[in-house]
Amino acid sequence: MNVSSRPQPETLPPSPSRPENNPRPGSRSRSGAPARRGTTAPPSRWRTAGAVLAGIALAASAVGLQAFRSGIDDHDAPLTSTGDIDEEVTGSRFSARVKAVHAAKAIAAPKPGGERERVTAKGIFVIVEVGATATWEPQRLGPPRLLTGGGHRYVSSDRVDQTLTITNPYIQPGWWTEGVTVFEIPPGELPDSRILLAPSSGFIVEPNGPEIEIDLGLDEAAARRLTSTAKDVYELASRT
Amino acid sequence: MTPPPEGPTRRRPIAVPLVALVTIAGLGATAALGGFATAAEKPPKRLGQGSTVDQEQFTTTFVGSRTLSEPGLFGSPAKRFLEIELRVVNKGDETASTGLLYEGTLAGGSLGTSLLKITPAIKGKYGASLFSPTGGGESTQLHPALPTSVVVKYELEDKQRIPKQLTIDVGKYEWREGVTLAPGWFLVTEEDGGKEKPVVTAQVTLPVVPKGTRS
Repeated sequence: MNVSSRPQPETLPPSPSRPENNPRPGSRSRSGAPARRGTTAPPSRWRTAGAVLAGIALAASAVGLQAFRSGIDDHDAPLTSTGDIDEEVTGSRFSARVKAVHAAKAIAAPKPGGERERVTAKGIFVIVEVGATATWEPQRLGPPRLLTGGGHRYVSSDRVDQTLTITNPYIQPGWWTEGVTVFEIPPGELPDSRILLAPSSGFIVEPNGPEIEIDLGLDEAAARRLTSTAKDVYELASRT
Repeated sequence: MTPPPEGPTRRRPIAVPLVALVTIAGLGATAALGGFATAAEKPPKRLGQGSTVDQEQFTTTFVGSRTLSEPGLFGSPAKRFLEIELRVVNKGDETASTGLLYEGTLAGGSLGTSLLKITPAIKGKYGASLFSPTGGGESTQLHPALPTSVVVKYELEDKQRIPKQLTIDVGKYEWREGVTLAPGWFLVTEEDGGKEKPVVTAQVTLPVVPKGTRS
């Protein structure tokens, strides 16, 4: 392209001065220039074949790379930090830990009037004690989710007063805020469950927000033990 | 290399024109016989009380319909309600919402959106609310694999007449994902005069029991 766009100064003078000695920068790259002086030979068959093969190879690799393309699910997937129960797991904007997991057939929670309200589970209530601290800015957690071994995602139950759960207080930098979250699930779903915590999103949908995933450490046997020894009523503490 | 045999042994190339001719004739015949017309719509199943509809995302049993009255607070007149009771199992992977009745949106994956139409139309004072009433602590969540009772509840106007029976047009969900489309549950639709409208898989007719009780 460059050669044909301004050929005059390049192609005419080379006869007196050899192109190798030409001091002007840029002249070295005009390797196409000699071809203009009548010495045109068609590119050899091998070169054509090589070029075609290289083209095919590039096209094939471009198609092949599509296999590694991120799916639409991944585009707005959160950036997840993972860890285990009793472990401090640090995400980009907050850290979290799970202290204990309980199971109960019903939950009693204080009502504004003073008496307690009892809610019975259709399946079983799983109460997770969670602590969290912010890295820089105060924030609140969105509704936690429970990702079960079977691949189901349970949003924390709306049957308990949300102001009594970890989603209510602001998570501040400098100290740990403790709270609970309650899930309602069929008892058989409990094995290999993990809890997913993320800052509450509000109105802005954040494509790749931080998320913390903590394994509750419940294998088949531990999960069965927990559900079979489930309390009749779990007393939810009032706001402090 | 031997030169190709000459003259008389060389056949005329007829395969391509022949295939083209057969194809065109076939397509023409199919068109003439009406083979490209839209297939006749399957009429929705007509079901009664206690029947179950597979909505792909949900399995929904239509338990019944009734009117209720609740005493008013502080001596105000009693409130009258009409409700439809459902029993729902969420077959999806995520907690879904009971949502609101169908209002023209095809996306979302809430139970209410798949209840396309109720005839005769009930207005009520504030429209319908959908929730799960059982066990204390009303819920609008439908957790995966956890059978849940749901009511569609209307508060009736003072002199509103109560129909003897209701017919609910029930839609169906499908999981869709695409290059630009965020994956999710969408109502199964069909073209109707250039407009996409949700398919009615079943029409469930429920008698309205006056002053009934929840099962």
